Amino acid sequence: MWLKANEMQRHATTEGLNAASDRRRRRAPIVNASLIGSALLVFTILGTQILSLGLSSSAHMSMSVSEPVATSFSRPDIIDRNGRLLATDVEAPSLFADPAIVIDRDEVVEKLITVLPDLNAAELRDALSDKSRRFVWIRRGLSPKVAQRIHDLGLPGLAFRKELRRAYPAGALAGHVLGFVNVDNKGMAGIEKYIDDAVGVDPVNSATLSTRAPVRLSLDAGIQYALEDELDTAVRRYKSEGAAGIVLDVKTGEIIASASLPRVEPSQPSATTDAKYADKITGGTFELGSVFKTLTIAMALDEGLATPSTVLDVREPLQAGRFTIRDFHSAGRPLTVAEVFTHSSNVGAGMLAQKAGPDRMHGFLQKLGMLTPIKTEAGAVTPPQLPARWEGAELITVSYGHGIAVAPLQFAVATASILNGGVSITPTMLKYKPGTNARATRLVTRETSSAMARLMRLNVMDTAGTGERADVPGFRVGGKTGTAELAENGRYDKSAVLSSFVAAFPMDDPHYLTFVLLFEPKGSSDTGGQRTASTNAAPVTARLIGRIAGQLGVAPMSVVATQ
Amino acid sequence: MRLLNIAAFCFAVASAFLLYSLNYETRRLEAHIQSQERAAQQAKSDIAVLKAERGHLSRPERIDPLARSQGLMPPRADQLVSPDLAAAIVPDSKASVRRVAESE
Repeated sequence: MWLKANEMQRHATTEGLNAASDRRRRRAPIVNASLIGSALLVFTILGTQILSLGLSSSAHMSMSVSEPVATSFSRPDIIDRNGRLLATDVEAPSLFADPAIVIDRDEVVEKLITVLPDLNAAELRDALSDKSRRFVWIRRGLSPKVAQRIHDLGLPGLAFRKELRRAYPAGALAGHVLGFVNVDNKGMAGIEKYIDDAVGVDPVNSATLSTRAPVRLSLDAGIQYALEDELDTAVRRYKSEGAAGIVLDVKTGEIIASASLPRVEPSQPSATTDAKYADKITGGTFELGSVFKTLTIAMALDEGLATPSTVLDVREPLQAGRFTIRDFHSAGRPLTVAEVFTHSSNVGAGMLAQKAGPDRMHGFLQKLGMLTPIKTEAGAVTPPQLPARWEGAELITVSYGHGIAVAPLQFAVATASILNGGVSITPTMLKYKPGTNARATRLVTRETSSAMARLMRLNVMDTAGTGERADVPGFRVGGKTGTAELAENGRYDKSAVLSSFVAAFPMDDPHYLTFVLLFEPKGSSDTGGQRTASTNAAPVTARLIGRIAGQLGVAPMSVVATQ
Repeated sequence: MRLLNIAAFCFAVASAFLLYSLNYETRRLEAHIQSQERAAQQAKSDIAVLKAERGHLSRPERIDPLARSQGLMPPRADQLVSPDLAAAIVPDSKASVRRVAESE
């Protein structure tokens, strides 16, 4: 009985164990599935993290580590109209010191002075004395040669950092137009400032070159050099105090060349702060003298006050109040309007202005844009200085370019508008893009434009014309002389003149305008002791046009005649 | 069950090894990229210097005296002729002029 009971208990225990084993067996797939699911979930999460890390950009990661601090600017290149490089960024070492690890500051200063003689020793010694500072600039933008010499000194506490430095491969060529940058490579004047304001520069804290497209100017480096070279020669030949010139496309308003002597070095702006280095083309106003008669006669023709054959009695001087206006060389006979132009008669120009009256004279100059400030990409042009009133003596003097002072560029643009068929143009330093002058307005009639082109050509062709020495065989040059006494302290200085010549070519369809100005030229054997524009500015213009006409693609008369 | 545990363990080890390899490979690639970027930066810097040097050497102020010393000078009006006249002198010149004009 006891045995049976024991047997039954054992049986019951075995059954219980079997039941538990069955339950465990039934649960096993669920547990396994949970384990595998958990493992998969963990690995999926890890995989996703790795994938997302792999996809995220390293730049973003570095940004989170340290935010860059802009200390310099990378700038686009400047090229001329044909792609020749005028300005670019290059890497240059800059020298700094860590005062905390400078061992002997006096030794550092003394040795550095031997390589950088213009270093301010006292200032540097003070800066190096402050051990709490960890960074002191000593000189930025060193040449590799100088940097190597400093490196060879082996001074502890000094180190170099690469920065961008603006380089001007053509030197002083077009220096006034290009402007300059400061030590941080930021544009301060000229086209360099325009780039900062309108094109864009990129702040960088290392020597990272710009990826922006280069800025293409309207200037032609070859024409620019020819202009500067001819002005250089003229300054030497006529012992001038300075010179300036411009070459302008009368159809598009593009400034092909613009020069002012003495030159400025864009890489050394601090060396040219004196007033004599100012850009005479845009940065100063002058009473231009008889070249202004071009505008007066255009006004008379356009307003229908006269024709080129209208005769004016210029034998007697003009009286205007206490002033007497007379001709430099009186013809002693009545002159036609064409002769007033070629003989450069002040009396004739004054008579035409009187005939027009103040309103028409003022209105015409206003229409040509001579009385309001203008600007180019290189900066604002000095505003014109106008007479207080436009009557009496002032009206007459304005007719031959006295009593009104304008920047040479402003005059050149107005003259170009007369010669290009009579439509307005906007002067630009950038290469012309079709449609830029879409809003051009008509300023004078085509007939007036053609008549003025003929008169200017006549002034050069006619042996009695003041511009005879500006002729260049084959290239149909026309122009007008101007010799004006320079005003100083409110009085005209008879010993100092501004001699100028405005010209255009080819005159059968004017395309280019040149304007040459010589400041205080002296008489020489070449000029027979004279210092008038017909003896100096006119031949300079002839040499210039003879040199550049072929480069500009102007076909000589022999070619035009056969086409 | 034991088999599954072993498989999971092996999977974990394999994953760890894979992760390590990926990490190592990523670092290697980053170093490679940085070295390539440095090389590209150096090349760009060299190109900028070479461009500036070429600009300096080809500046008109230098070329003009060199050209004149070789007897060259700006063309005079009488040295320029129309394509028709040039064709009369040199038979193939008109086609050449046209080709140059078209290429521009």
